Amino acid sequence: MSRIRFTQMRIVAKKEIMEFIRDWRTIVALILVPLLLFPLLFIAFPLVMQNEAQELQQLDVDVLIQSDYIDEDIFLGLNQTNMTITTEALPDGLETLSEPLNDSSRLRSYEYDAILRLQQMNDTWVYSVLFLSTSEQSTEARNRVLDVLNEWETNETIERIEAGGLDADTTLNPLRWDGEISDADVATKGEQAGMLLSLFIPFVLALWTASAAVQPAIDMTVGERERGTLESLLSLPLSRSELLMGKWLAVVTITGVGVALQVAGLLFGIAFLAEDLVNVPEISIASVLLLTLAVGLYGTMIVALYLALAMRSKSVKEAGTVLAPITLAMIVPILLTQFINLDDVESFWFAIPFVNVLLALRELLLDRVIVEHVIIWISVSIFVSSLTIRYAAKQFSREDIVTSRS
Amino acid sequence: MTDNLLHLTDVSKSFGDVHAIEHVSLEIKNESVVGLVGGNGAGKTTLLRMMAGIYKPTTGRVHLKDGKNVDEMRSVLGVVPESTGLYSKLTAWENIRFHSRIHGIEDSVAWSRTIRFAELLDMQDSLHRYTEGFSRGMRQKTALLRALAHGPSILLLDEPTAGLDVTSARIVRKLVSKLKDEGGTVIYSTHHLAEAEQVCDRIIIVHNGTIRADGTPEDLLSITNTNSLEEAYVSLTSEVARPRQEDMVEPSKFAMLWRRLFTRSPGYEVNEDE
Repeated sequence: MSRIRFTQMRIVAKKEIMEFIRDWRTIVALILVPLLLFPLLFIAFPLVMQNEAQELQQLDVDVLIQSDYIDEDIFLGLNQTNMTITTEALPDGLETLSEPLNDSSRLRSYEYDAILRLQQMNDTWVYSVLFLSTSEQSTEARNRVLDVLNEWETNETIERIEAGGLDADTTLNPLRWDGEISDADVATKGEQAGMLLSLFIPFVLALWTASAAVQPAIDMTVGERERGTLESLLSLPLSRSELLMGKWLAVVTITGVGVALQVAGLLFGIAFLAEDLVNVPEISIASVLLLTLAVGLYGTMIVALYLALAMRSKSVKEAGTVLAPITLAMIVPILLTQFINLDDVESFWFAIPFVNVLLALRELLLDRVIVEHVIIWISVSIFVSSLTIRYAAKQFSREDIVTSRS
Repeated sequence: MTDNLLHLTDVSKSFGDVHAIEHVSLEIKNESVVGLVGGNGAGKTTLLRMMAGIYKPTTGRVHLKDGKNVDEMRSVLGVVPESTGLYSKLTAWENIRFHSRIHGIEDSVAWSRTIRFAELLDMQDSLHRYTEGFSRGMRQKTALLRALAHGPSILLLDEPTAGLDVTSARIVRKLVSKLKDEGGTVIYSTHHLAEAEQVCDRIIIVHNGTIRADGTPEDLLSITNTNSLEEAYVSLTSEVARPRQEDMVEPSKFAMLWRRLFTRSPGYEVNEDE
C-alpha cells in the first residue's frame, strides 16, 4: 500500500457519509431500527406475552373424563369456569392409561381438548392426560387438568400424613433453604447481568456489524462503478489506498454508529424497561476500552473484506449474492462461541480469527481481563485485519475496477 | 509560448490478450485544443484514461513536461469522463467542492472560479440544487465546472457533447474555445468529425488502437488527398472496426458453461415448433 494522507482519506469519508445520511431509507434501516429495536422489544414482548396468557386463560376447553369412579374433590376442582366436563367409563383393552387407542381421533378432530383417564387401585390412583401437543388449546386444557390433580394430590398427601399422626410440614420438608436463595450468590447484580449479557451482546454486536456493513460497502464500491462516478474519482490526486481507506472509514463510521446505537438501545431497555429481569452490567474501564477495541478490530476485518469482495464483483447484484451468504456464515462462529466454557477456556481459541474477538467480548463482559488472552486476540486480529486491508487494497489497485468487469 | 505539456512515448496498453492501444507517441502542446476522433472501440477512452493516470501503460510512458508521470501530478489535469460522474445526493456545488478539496484548493478559491465559469454556462442558479434531477446538459456543465474549479493546465473531455441538445452542445464548445483563448489546453474526444473541425486546431484520428493521422484539418486533407474531412476519415479508417475492448473479454469458462446449461439454442426452438 502506498502512503496514505489522512486529509484525503477524511475528505472521501466525509463525502461518503454525507451522501449516506441524505438517503432517509438508509438512515431508517441502519440508524433508527437498531436504536429502537431493543426498547420496542422490551415493551412489545411483555405486552404480547401478557395478552396471550390472558387469552389462554379465557379459552373454553372441553375435557372428557374416562373413569369408573371419580373422587368428588377432583370432580369439583375440574368443574370450573371455562371448562366443560363430560364423563364416560374407561375404554376396554387398555394396557396402560397412556395408550390413546381410538381416542386419538377424538382429540385430532377437536371433539375434546384433553382426555383425563383416572383409575383407583386400592390406596393409590393412576392417571394419564391425553392431549394434542400441537394445539395450544389442548395444551392449555392439559395444564388446567394437571393443576387440579396436583392440588388434589397435595391435599391428599397432607391428609394421609396427618391421619398417621405426623406433622405434614416437617414430614414433607425435612430439609429446607434458610433465607433468600439470591442472597447466597456472591456475584453482584451487575456481574450476573454481565454473565447473562455475555451470551447475548456478542451475538448482537457481531451480527449487526456484519449485516450493517453490507449495504454501504456495496454502495461505495461496485455501486459507485455502476453509477459511473468511480472514473472521475480515480482521476483525482488520490491514491487507491487513500480511496480505500476513505471508504473504509466511512463504512466503519456508519456501521459503528449503528452498533453503538443498538447497544445504547439495549442498555436503555435493560435500565428502564426490563429492570426487573436484568441489570446493567458492571465492568471496569479497562474492559470497556478493550471491548471497544475488539469491536473495532472485528469491524475492520469485516468492512475491509466486504469492500474487497464488493469491488471484485461485476455488479451490485453480484456483490449482494456474494456478501449475503458470508453474513449468514458469520452466525457459525457466533453460535460456536456461545457454547465455549469460559472458566477453563484454552488459549488457542483466542488465536482463531473472528472466534477470538467474539470470545473476547464474552470475557470482557464478565470483566475478566486475562492478559495472555488479550495479547493473543489483539495480535491475531491486527494481523488478520492487515491481511484483509491488504487484500482490499489489491482489489482497489486493479485497473479494471473502472469498468464493470471482475 | 508553445511548450509541450504532455508526452506519450511509444505507449501501448493491453488488457490480457486484448491490445487496446499499440505504439502511440504524441506530444500535446500548450494553448491548443486537440481532438481525438474515432469510432466506438477505437481506443479514444483508453488513451484519455492513460493521460488521466487511471490506466498505466503496458509499455511506454505518459509524462508531463517536467518529466513526472501523470499519476504523480494529477492536479494539473481536469477530467470530464463520458458518464460525468456526479453524485446525485450532493448539490452541484458540493460535487465541485469535493473534487476541489481533493485537489487541495480552498473552498473560497474554488467558489470564485466556479462562479466565473457558471455564468458562461448559465449555471449560476443551479449550483445549490441536487444533481439528481439534472438534465444531461446540466450534468455535463456541472462536470465541466468541477473539472475547472482547481485551475487545471490540461482539460481532458471524453465525448463532452454526447447526448446533449444543440444549445447545450454549443455552450460547451464555446467554453472550450474560450479556455483556449485564455491559454488553456484541451484534449477533446469525439466521434463527430464536424465537431472536431469546429473546435479543435489539431485532430488525431484513432482507429483500432493506433493513430492513423495527426495534424490540422488542412493537413488531413492534404495527407489523404481528399476534399472533405469525412472523406479523409473514411480513407484513413477503411478497415473493419474491431469490437469495443469491453466486449472482447469473455466471461470465465465455468461461467460460460453454467450459462449454457440454462440457454436454449435457436435451432432447438425451431425443431420444437416443427
